[in-house]
Amino acid sequence: MPTYDVVVVGAGNAGLSAALQCQLAGRKTLLIEKHNVPGGAATSFVRGRFEIEPSLHELCDFGPADNPGDVRRILDAYGVKLDWYECRDCFRVVSRYSDGSPMDVTMPSGIQNFIDKMEEYVPGSREKTTALFDLFQEVLDGIAYITASKGHADSKVLQAKYPNMLRTGAYSTKKVFDALKLPQKAQDILSTYWSYLGVDMEHLAFIHYAAMVHKYVQRSAYIPAHTSHELSTAMVERFRELGGEIWFNCRAEEFLFEGDKLCGVRTNLGDIDCGYCLANINPDIIYGSMMPKELIPEREKKLSAARGRIMGGRMYTAYFCLDAAPEELGITDYSIFLSGTADSAKEYKNILGGMETNEYCIFLCYNIANPGFSPEGTCVCSFTTFGAPEEWGRLQQEDYFKFKTEGAKKWLRILKEKTGIDLCGHIEEMEVASPWTFARFLGVPEGSVYGYETRDWDGMMARMMMLGADYPIKGLRPIGAAGPRGDGYSATIICGQLMAANALKDLKAWEGGEQ
Amino acid sequence: MSDLNVKVGLIGKLDMLKFKNMAKVREKAIQKAPAKEISGTFPVNENAKALHPDALELTVDNIIARGGAKTFVLKRPDGGPLPYFRAGQYLSLKLPLDGSLVTRSYSLCSSPKEALNGSYAITIRANPGGFAADRLLRDLKPGDKLIASAPQGFFYYEDLRDAGHVVGLAGGSGITPFLSMARAIADGIEDFSLTLLYGSRREEDVLFRGELDEIARSCPKFKVIYVLSDEERDCFEHGFLTAELIRKYAPADEDYSVFLCGPEAMYRFLQPEIEELGLPPRRFRRKLIDVTKSPWACEGYPAEAEGKSFSIRVKQGPEEWTVPASADEPVLVAIERAGIKAPSRCRAGECGWCRSRLLEGTVFIPKENEMRRWADVHYGYIHPCCSFPTSDLVLEIPGEFY
Repeated sequence: MPTYDVVVVGAGNAGLSAALQCQLAGRKTLLIEKHNVPGGAATSFVRGRFEIEPSLHELCDFGPADNPGDVRRILDAYGVKLDWYECRDCFRVVSRYSDGSPMDVTMPSGIQNFIDKMEEYVPGSREKTTALFDLFQEVLDGIAYITASKGHADSKVLQAKYPNMLRTGAYSTKKVFDALKLPQKAQDILSTYWSYLGVDMEHLAFIHYAAMVHKYVQRSAYIPAHTSHELSTAMVERFRELGGEIWFNCRAEEFLFEGDKLCGVRTNLGDIDCGYCLANINPDIIYGSMMPKELIPEREKKLSAARGRIMGGRMYTAYFCLDAAPEELGITDYSIFLSGTADSAKEYKNILGGMETNEYCIFLCYNIANPGFSPEGTCVCSFTTFGAPEEWGRLQQEDYFKFKTEGAKKWLRILKEKTGIDLCGHIEEMEVASPWTFARFLGVPEGSVYGYETRDWDGMMARMMMLGADYPIKGLRPIGAAGPRGDGYSATIICGQLMAANALKDLKAWEGGEQ
Repeated sequence: MSDLNVKVGLIGKLDMLKFKNMAKVREKAIQKAPAKEISGTFPVNENAKALHPDALELTVDNIIARGGAKTFVLKRPDGGPLPYFRAGQYLSLKLPLDGSLVTRSYSLCSSPKEALNGSYAITIRANPGGFAADRLLRDLKPGDKLIASAPQGFFYYEDLRDAGHVVGLAGGSGITPFLSMARAIADGIEDFSLTLLYGSRREEDVLFRGELDEIARSCPKFKVIYVLSDEERDCFEHGFLTAELIRKYAPADEDYSVFLCGPEAMYRFLQPEIEELGLPPRRFRRKLIDVTKSPWACEGYPAEAEGKSFSIRVKQGPEEWTVPASADEPVLVAIERAGIKAPSRCRAGECGWCRSRLLEGTVFIPKENEMRRWADVHYGYIHPCCSFPTSDLVLEIPGEFY
C-alpha cells in the first residue's frame, strides 16, 4: 500500500499551502485532489478565445516585493514564483448612505490617500478616520504578536503594547465605529468590504474587519498575471520540485482509523497509508459522511449544532467576455460595488431573501488591473453576489438554467442603471456559476466558499484562541475557509500553513513517544 | 498611537477582560448546544450532484433504425428522471471494446423535456473506418448497459449572448444537436428562431426528415432547408453550404448568429465562407472539431516524427505502465489501447478532462484543438486526447471514478 507521512486532501489554497509546508519540512507528502485541476476556487476555465478567472478579485496581504505582506512572505518562503498585477484603487461603490442619500465614491489605496479622499467625501472626518487607522495598525500588530506566541500570549505584553486592541477586540465593527464617533457617512463608506467576510457590521468582529481593511488599504491588492490557475499551478509545480506527489481525480471517500488515531485514507485510486491527514474539507462533511460516527467527540457535535450549519458566502458569479475594450464600454474602475444600501445588516437580509430582493453585487473588470488579461480589443468582466440557500435548495433542475441567466440579466440592468455601462451587444462568451456550481466543484456545503459564518461568538480571534480545543481528532485536521482564519485566498493560504505547522508539531511529539 | 482616545462610552477597562473572555464565551455557546448527529448532506449539494453526477449508468431501452443510422433511447435502470440539459449538449460514453476502455461523444437529439420523463436519445451513424460507431451499431441491443458522462459541452443557445435568430449549419450526423434545439423550441423550453441549412450528399442520407418537417409545420420559429451536394431534387437546394446560401435564408433586416456542426471537412470548407459573411466573432459558434486523423498534414507538424513509433511511460496514482504509441494517433488512444482506465470526455481538446502532466518528451497539438489554459501550456500540461507524440514520453494522468 502506498505510504506517506502526510496526505493532504484537496488542492485548494489551504491544501496547496499545507502540502508545501509539510514537504518543505522534509515530510513525505501526498496531495490528492478530486478534480483534474488544482486550486479549488483558485482555478480558471476557457471559453472560446478567453480564459476566465472564476473567483479571485483581490489578493489581500500580498503587497509589493519591497514591502511584502504575510502572503507574499509565505509564498516566497515556499519558493513559489509568478508575475503579479496591482489593483490600484481600493474600490468604487455606488449605493445609498444609511440616510438614503445617493453614494458614488471611489477610494484609493494608501492610508494617507484614503484618509484624504474620505475628508473630501465626508468633510470633518479626518481626525476620526486617522484615529481609526491607528487603531487598525495596533490590531494588526496585536494579532501578529498573538499568532507568533502560538497560544502563549503574555497578557502583560498585550496590556502594555496593544491596549486598544484588547478594548475593542471583543466588539462588533459597528459598535467600535460608533464608540469612536466616526461620522455615519464615513462608516457607510468604510463598511463596503463587509461582503468579503460575509457577515454584516453588527455581527462581524471588529478585530477581523480591522485587520483586513488595513491590509487592503495599506498594501493594495494583487492578482496573478494569468488567473488564479497560474497561482495554483505554480504552487503544484513547486511542490513537485520539492519531491511532493500530487494525484488528480483522486477523491477521498473515507478516513481510516486504528483505534482513535487516523492511519489512512480510502480513495477511488485505492487505500493510502499515512500518519497524518490535513483535509481541505468542511468539518460537517467530514463528520457527516467520511468517518466512523463513534469516533466523533461530543464537543464536535455541539460545535456543529451551535453553528447551526449557517454558512457564509454562497457564491453566484456571472462572467462576461466582451468583444470591446474597457474604454469603448466606458469602464474605468477595476471593482465597483453595486449595492442597495450601505446598511450592511439590511443588505444582508435582502440578499438572503433571494434574487428578488437582492440588490448587492460586485462588478469587476480584470483588464483594468491587467491590460493583457484577454485578447486586444476585448475584456472580461464579472458580477459576484451571494445566493440564498433556501432558494437554491428549492430550485428544480428544469428551472435552473433560466434562473441563473435571469440573475445575470438583472445585474447587467443594474450596472447600466447605476453607471451607464452597457455590456449588452458585446457578449461573445458568458458563463454563470451558481451555488450549485461551487457545491459541485468544491464540495463545499451549499456552495459556500466562506465556511461557517465568522459571526459573533464564532469570530476569527475566538477561533484562534481555541485552536487547542477545536481539533480533537488524532491525526486529522480540517483546513480551509471553515478554519480559524475564515474565508479568502490570503486567509486560507495562511490557514494551510498554520495547520500544517501544528500537524508537524503533533508528528514530532508522537515520534518522541507522546500519545 | 498612545494618544488615541478610545476610552469612551462602552469601551473602557472592563473591555479588556471581555477580550480575554472571548474563548470562554465561545465555549459556553458550544456547550449550550445539543450534541446532535451531524449530517454531511445539504440540499444545494444534492441538487448539484443530481444535475452533474460523475457518471450515469444507462440502459438501452429502444433502438430505432434509420437508414445507415440508429437512434438509441437510453433510460436509467430504475426508470427515474435523468439530469436535465441544454439542447445541443452531448453525452460522452465510456465503452469497453476489445479490452480497451474508450470514450465517444454523441450529441443528445432528444428534447430536454424527455430527460425529466427519464429518457435520452442519441443517434449514431455508420462511419467507414469508425471503430466504435460500427461496433455500437452492430452490437448494442435493448437491455444493454452503458456508462455515460452527464450531459456537457457549450454548443447551446444563450439568449443574453446570441442573436434572436440562429442560422444552423448541419452536415451529416451533425444534425443531432440541432434536432434537440428544434424540439426544445417546439416544447417551449428555448425561445429563439432557428433556420436550419442541413447538408447531405443524397436525399437518402437525410436523417430525421419526418421529424424535422413535422416540427417546422407546427412551430413557426423553426425552418429547415435541405441541401444535397451529390444530386438534384425538387424542393431541395443543390450544392454545398456557402456564404451565398446563408445570405439567401438568413433574415435580411435582423441580427443573426451562425451555429455550425458537421464533419471536419465541412469545417474546413466553411471557414472562408463564414469569414466572407463578415460576422463579428460573437455571432459564430461551432461544435468542437474532432481531432484530425492526419496530423502530418497540419501546419507546424515536425516532419521527422511522421510514421514513427514511440513508448509512453504512464503514471496514474500509485500505478505505472509503459505502453507503445504511434506518431499518427493521439496519446490518449495509446493509453486506452493498453486497457488503462484513463479519463477523457470530449476528445477534442475542449473539456480538459484528460489534462495530464507531461514530465518528459514532446507532443504535437493541432491548432484547432489547442484550448489549454495559459499556465497549463507554461508548466507542461497537455490534453492527451488531441496531443500526438513526437518522442518517447513520460506522462502523469489523472485518476478515474468508475
